[in-house]
Amino acid sequence: MAGKGGTGKSTIAGALALIAARRGKRVLCIDIDAKGDLAGALGSPPVGFQPRSVQPNVDVLALIPEESLQEYLHVYFKVPRLARLTPLSRVFDFVATGVPGAREMLVIGKIAFEEKRRDRDGSPAWDLIIVDAAATGHFIPQIRAARAMLDLVKGGMIRSQVEWIDAILTDPERTVLTICALPEEMPVVEALELSERARREVHICIGAGFLNRTIPVVLTPRQRKVLERMGAASRVVRLSDELGGDVGAVVQGARLSQRLYDSGAIHAKHLREGIGAPVLEVPLQVDARPGLATTRAVATALQRAEGGAA
Amino acid sequence: MSVRDGDQQLDLAARLSDREVVICAGSGGVGKTTVSAALGIAMVAELDKRVLVLTVDPARRLATALGLESVGTEPAAVPRAQLKRALGAAPKGELVTAMLDQKSTWDRLVEQLSPDRAAAARIRRNPFYNGISDAFVGSHEYMAMEALYELHTAREYDVLIIDTPPSRNALDFLEAPNRLGDFVGARLLSWLAGPTRMGFRAMGFAAGPFMRMADRLLGTDVLADLSAFVRDLQQLYGGVQQRAREVYKLLRAPATGFVVVTTLEPSPFAEAEFFASKLHEFSMPLRAFVINRVLPDSLREPEAIAAAQALAGGASVAALLSEELGEKVSADVPKRIAEAFLTLSRLADRDSRQVARLARLGRVPLARLPLVDHDISDLEGLSLMAAGLRGQLGQ
Repeated sequence: MAGKGGTGKSTIAGALALIAARRGKRVLCIDIDAKGDLAGALGSPPVGFQPRSVQPNVDVLALIPEESLQEYLHVYFKVPRLARLTPLSRVFDFVATGVPGAREMLVIGKIAFEEKRRDRDGSPAWDLIIVDAAATGHFIPQIRAARAMLDLVKGGMIRSQVEWIDAILTDPERTVLTICALPEEMPVVEALELSERARREVHICIGAGFLNRTIPVVLTPRQRKVLERMGAASRVVRLSDELGGDVGAVVQGARLSQRLYDSGAIHAKHLREGIGAPVLEVPLQVDARPGLATTRAVATALQRAEGGAA
Repeated sequence: MSVRDGDQQLDLAARLSDREVVICAGSGGVGKTTVSAALGIAMVAELDKRVLVLTVDPARRLATALGLESVGTEPAAVPRAQLKRALGAAPKGELVTAMLDQKSTWDRLVEQLSPDRAAAARIRRNPFYNGISDAFVGSHEYMAMEALYELHTAREYDVLIIDTPPSRNALDFLEAPNRLGDFVGARLLSWLAGPTRMGFRAMGFAAGPFMRMADRLLGTDVLADLSAFVRDLQQLYGGVQQRAREVYKLLRAPATGFVVVTTLEPSPFAEAEFFASKLHEFSMPLRAFVINRVLPDSLREPEAIAAAQALAGGASVAALLSEELGEKVSADVPKRIAEAFLTLSRLADRDSRQVARLARLGRVPLARLPLVDHDISDLEGLSLMAAGLRGQLGQ
């Protein structure tokens, strides 16, 4: 799940997790966005590097590069955890900080590790892994940086690791990128740029677009016509008398709502035409409190949108 | 000054124009770039000042409106005639816009801080250099600060308005100067700069096993490339530390003011509150809040809500409307119209509760910019927003 900052990636990622979990899937959510509100969207305090169960069938973990590094080296290369070997840990600290792609590689390495995780009976630990990724601007560089390591690192075990992970990322049967946008200019422009670059530069399949916070009440042309006729000055006065209250303000507010919808609809159209994947709309959640309540409401809205699309 | 006073018409542009540096911060998507540009217009409209707006990532049409074609182009003055047309009066000052060029800012930094040209050239040639700007958290933020520092030192403008990168984490921004120091820091690098047998022995650490492990992990040569890079980079360390101190000094200077821009959506708003508290912690001067895209107060008036509830009332309302309009109106029509209003009304209500929370942050001037139903992407739109920042828009 990628998209411009502030488009509600975490909420939608959390909602997808809830939907999949309801359908009996074991879901792991991975937060790689530095701020990490995915756990919050699922009603949990901040989580760490190890998966933590936060809802039935839903686990969350947050990736912290420094911890990832130790884990990565330990799991894949049997390097002892480095806390005691101070000089060595400093080197790897630098490598993680300074080598382009190392951090990104660690993040992707951890995701790949979870993808490979098996239960005792040998079945996959997770049916679905949802990654709340960085904002659009950072996503492609992140993937590319991992790949850039292939240029810097000519041999060794890390190279084969990178190649293996790369194969998972570019397999449309296993990995899709979903992109979150708002019905506004910049989020849609960024979503389209991202979908284009993801396809062309890193060869990742686009699974879906999400158009978040659309205006919830849309009037039909017939309803709009009545609204316009109601707004005539003399009528507003009479209707206000009859109904009690300020009908003029209601007409103004309803008009504003429709104008907002109309300006958003232009951007929504661009998104639909350009993204090359189904686009699901998620109406603005006015009444739910931020956090799990909003995530649940969004999950319900998504299921409705999916029903409508099908 | 409290939030209560923020409800009055407040001329934010005049209040900020005695600063040399105005930093607009906030989450992505709240309209920071637009607000920065509008603030610049608001200043030059009334004051004889030379104002530079440094933007980071403007929408294409906005960039075009400001005369910015692409990253790397020289700062461009917004033509007076165009500004005059948009403002309806000749501007008193001069507005210049520029776009942050991260790559060349890095290059200049390396150039300036390297002991000699050869070292600078070696750093820039090293394959590790190209990835460096993405390699540490906050590098975008730091380069914005670095560009600000350069511009401030050059003293070509009376006021610098900086639109900051859309950082998800306020700390990335405030800690960026130190992070660069840490990154190039002696602690990490001195050791790696010379992975010689002597060096290992001095640390009481056997070279053989380390080299073998490094080769196993990275392949041969990588370490040699890396240590060459590190040796060069390390020569920058003193300069980088010094620069970080100077940048912090500038950020804390009385001539600097932070403006936190936010909408009333819960998540950017929470981020703005957090950022404001961090500014306080870092002793950096928060001068104003700009709340963008505020819904009109009329949505919350009890009279309006009463009318909407009556409209949603059913068959008798439909009959009344049918009679009034002289056409058949079914019951669902007034109901939907009422719903359209009431949904926005509830949103406005939630928003106003958020604004009330700002009181906890103490006495900070507050400017509210109304929601508009289109993207602001021309000088006319920016001028209207500028009027809002000068307190000349009725709520």
